[in-house]
Amino acid sequence: MDKNSEMEKEGDAFSSLWYKFRWLFVLFTLVSLAIWVMNSAIEGQWDKLFESPRNARIFFMESLWPPDWSVLEPRAYPVCERTGWLDFTCSTAWIGVMETIKIAFSATVFGMLISYPIALLAADNLNSNWISYPARFFLAACRSLPSILWAVLFVIMVGLGPMAGIMAMTIYTVGYLGKLQYEAIEGVAKPQLDASKAMGHGWLERSFGVVLPEAANGLISQAIFMFEYNFRHGTVIGIVGAGGIGYYINLYLEFLQYDKVFAYVIVIFVVVLILDIISKLTRSLFNDEKYNKRPSWWSIFLPAAMVQHPEEE
Amino acid sequence: MVKITSGVGLVRGIIMSDYDSITITNASVGYSKDDPLIQGISLTLKPGDIVAINGVSGIGKTTLLKTLAGLVRPINGDITIFGNKRTKRGEVGYIPQRLGLIRNSTVQHNVILGAMAGHTRPWFPFSRDTKIHTKKAIEAMGIESKTRVPVGKLSGGQQRRVAIARTLAQEPKLILADEFLAELDEETLTKVMDVVLDYVKKKNAIMILVEHDLSRAEKMATRIFTAENGKLVEN
Repeated sequence: MDKNSEMEKEGDAFSSLWYKFRWLFVLFTLVSLAIWVMNSAIEGQWDKLFESPRNARIFFMESLWPPDWSVLEPRAYPVCERTGWLDFTCSTAWIGVMETIKIAFSATVFGMLISYPIALLAADNLNSNWISYPARFFLAACRSLPSILWAVLFVIMVGLGPMAGIMAMTIYTVGYLGKLQYEAIEGVAKPQLDASKAMGHGWLERSFGVVLPEAANGLISQAIFMFEYNFRHGTVIGIVGAGGIGYYINLYLEFLQYDKVFAYVIVIFVVVLILDIISKLTRSLFNDEKYNKRPSWWSIFLPAAMVQHPEEE
Repeated sequence: MVKITSGVGLVRGIIMSDYDSITITNASVGYSKDDPLIQGISLTLKPGDIVAINGVSGIGKTTLLKTLAGLVRPINGDITIFGNKRTKRGEVGYIPQRLGLIRNSTVQHNVILGAMAGHTRPWFPFSRDTKIHTKKAIEAMGIESKTRVPVGKLSGGQQRRVAIARTLAQEPKLILADEFLAELDEETLTKVMDVVLDYVKKKNAIMILVEHDLSRAEKMATRIFTAENGKLVEN
């Protein structure tokens, strides 16, 4: 065997080894890079990380546990007019949760109605770049600030309370839902649009007669997801005075009453779970036939990729 | 109605104008100038013509239909449809290979879209006529029992009939149909063929269809073309 063919063989063996383990190598490189970047960010103070479990345990045992369930009891003032088991509706937890749900619902409906026409303009299969790019720019501007920063702005404009919350969440919904909507519109199959263009439909007919019904399932599903998302974010905007349960969380955080804060967090967790189940059930009605299954209650704890449909088993 | 224009001519004993015919002069179709699919197409189609085009897959038959529908620009040459370079609202009825139906919507909604294009104005797409034309077309295709059923729940053959009903409700002067008889059983196929042929005859329309089955093409068409080696050859 001559030297050249030996070298070629070695080269082949190396390339096949590299091919076999290429994903492992990429993963190793990425993790190493992330550790190196993190090390430079924390200036090498790794001891903080190792001390954290002890700190968390002390904080949990001394400050958080047990949660103070007085947040579910009626407030002293104003006097609760409801009697019996309904008196919990006078509690700060209930009032906060209901206010957050109201903010999330109003913002989702208004946001959806505003975002759809803008999403139609932003879709590049319906318009030229001269129209779609400015519309996309507007949607990007709406979602460039998180809802909490919009809330700060609107608290300055309209004062403390849910009004600022609704306006902030609406703007954010327009940006976020608009993006999801124009992506759904761009996903409408070409033959439908081709047939409509060939027939000579105008823009309005094509948008509302062809695109809207064709993308309807996706759009409804996204709106329901947005409501659920808005509720979760609605708990945060109260911190800057824009109403909702976040207001009470912020209040007790300032007084260092972490056991009450913990009780609110548990309440939010339970409400989010309930909303998640309702959202999943409702969305399943608007999905394609193959996904039109009632979701199992435990699937809400798992990432979507881990949930197997019965026919796939 | 025949409009008398400078382009008036006498063909086979009838008065024909540019406004009734389709003229293609030395046109090439495709998606790239360097690699046109079909070149040098020159033909004139008069009212009542039914043209069948066959040829192997990927040769450019669908692209030719799309070019005539105004969805793809011709690479070069000249295409005049009813006296205009661009088609007008409601003039062209297009049945794509994949039908282009809205699967979530009912049969009625899909057919009404055709009627709207053919019988209303774009900024005011509401008229009593649309309902009448929609009903007639649905009945002609024998799918009246499915009027309120979402198209996605229909069989392939039924969906095809919905697409044809949409075009009939539109009453276009030019029908472009891409393998529109596929998936139909013999009995339905004969019925559908009769309805479409009757429409073309009554309305003096022009129909261009892509059809692989030569015997079907011979039954329907007045002229048959084969696309081969980048050319469109009349048989």
